[in-house]
Amino acid sequence: MATLVTASGLTKRYGDLVAVAGIDFEIREGECFGFLGPNGAGKTTTVRMIHCVSPVTSGTLLVGGMPSGIGNRALKMITGVIPQEINLDIDLTVAENLIIFARFFDIGRREAKARIAELLRFVELEAKAKAKISDLSTGMKRRLLIARALINRPRLIVADEPTTGLDPQARHLIWQRLRQLKTEGATLVLTTQYMEEAQQLCDRIVVMYQGRILKEGTPARLVEEEIGREVVEIRTPPEDDARILGHVAGFDCAHERVGDTLYFYCRDGHGLMKRLLELDLPNTLNRPATLEDVFLKLTGRSLHE
Amino acid sequence: MSLSYRIAYVFLRNLYSYKRFVLPTFLVSLIEPLFYLITFGVGMGAYMGAFGGKPYLHFLVPGVLASAAMMSSSFECLYGTYVKIVHEKVYDSLIATPVSADEAVAGDIAWGSFRGLISGFLMMVVALFMGVAPAAPWRAVLLIVFMVFIGILFGSLAMIVTSIAPSFDFFSYYTELVMTPMLFFSGVFFPLDNFPGWMKVLAEFLPLTHAVRISRTLFTGEPAAGIGGSLAVLVAMAAIVFTVSIRMMRKRLIK
Repeated sequence: MATLVTASGLTKRYGDLVAVAGIDFEIREGECFGFLGPNGAGKTTTVRMIHCVSPVTSGTLLVGGMPSGIGNRALKMITGVIPQEINLDIDLTVAENLIIFARFFDIGRREAKARIAELLRFVELEAKAKAKISDLSTGMKRRLLIARALINRPRLIVADEPTTGLDPQARHLIWQRLRQLKTEGATLVLTTQYMEEAQQLCDRIVVMYQGRILKEGTPARLVEEEIGREVVEIRTPPEDDARILGHVAGFDCAHERVGDTLYFYCRDGHGLMKRLLELDLPNTLNRPATLEDVFLKLTGRSLHE
Repeated sequence: MSLSYRIAYVFLRNLYSYKRFVLPTFLVSLIEPLFYLITFGVGMGAYMGAFGGKPYLHFLVPGVLASAAMMSSSFECLYGTYVKIVHEKVYDSLIATPVSADEAVAGDIAWGSFRGLISGFLMMVVALFMGVAPAAPWRAVLLIVFMVFIGILFGSLAMIVTSIAPSFDFFSYYTELVMTPMLFFSGVFFPLDNFPGWMKVLAEFLPLTHAVRISRTLFTGEPAAGIGGSLAVLVAMAAIVFTVSIRMMRKRLIK
């Protein structure tokens, strides 16, 4: 697959604050590439540089072979942005939001009309064309943001936490639409804090923390490499640790104590579970390892505020 | 500067948004001039006798035309733009499209100028009904062009204030400490002739003084002293202020 976005030594500084600290990555044409990380990790700053609304401090960032930059209209023409913040034009109706956006992209009136009808169908908002933005639910607003981002038939779609604040139905609908866009050939760049979202959508992800990329890979491989296949959780006071650890010595599992929970990370949790049952502990769970385990392991468990 | 035909798209966006507020803003634009014309023109004018051979209203109207255009364009580029940046996030979505930040700002200044024109034009219509008309019909066209120009000037000036405004409250400094005093020291309501010398000098530093002087000349057809200088000052000022406003707004919008 051809490369669409190439970053090397990509850096963004705001005064003394280093938001992105010299990162390298490649995004391939037609894939969904995810930036994961806690608040303030530099995900949004990175994608804002990709879609040309934030200048690069140093390093290089090529999109479609062109250097990304504020004045790069050619890149903006082929990019669709689903922003984190719902910035629909509240003075305008649903349809007018799309009409105006079509103008911004030099799309002719007749063509715009056809695309708007098609897009409203795509995001299931046909019935709301004349509605005011304030009459839409959060899910509808987010869907309209998607329709708006697609008005120029973008080759590159940047989605910055596109499902924040949505209920499961709305979230799944958006995931389906984003997957559909990918099958239609668009390249998707996603930032998210929801590990399930990354697992559902992304071909490859990077985990960012404090402006750096900690790990890169496919979601499945990252889980396998960092955690293993299974996790055993025991909710038990720390005083029990010595007894439990002594009892399961010999198993090839890493362990970690976090607050009220003792975690075991194993390739196969089965044997360990059997052994633990002998201790008759009240609250034990054996589950598959997830991206969330990777995320917490890499970025730590303290709050990022 | 990155300016193109896309400025028109930003203007169009504002026009779409304006559809819903046409009536209230027309009413406001109408009531304000009526206020001035009735209180000062008719009420106070009755005590003032002839003013250069004509009723006071004839002196007042061209001045109020200019100040109305100034007020409307300023307010649009202060509060209107601030709301679009901070509350409605219109600028955020705009600059992610092929429309540049420069065009977004220029489009808003053009819009402010249009709002100024509406105010000035309504004022002209009201004055017409009160029997005060430009010396010749074609002069009304010149006045309209001139109002567009002063809208750009004062809209840009306001845009500079907006570019550094941390909150709404900040605008009071500009409206109360700059605009309101300017209204009284620029010869809108009375000639500057009786001011002491230093105040006359001070008045020449106020853009509204020049705007009023030109407006009055265009309206009455009686050329005032220093009219060419006033025009030169305003054109230079508009060019500088417009450029600076776009540069400063760029700083606010692009991070």
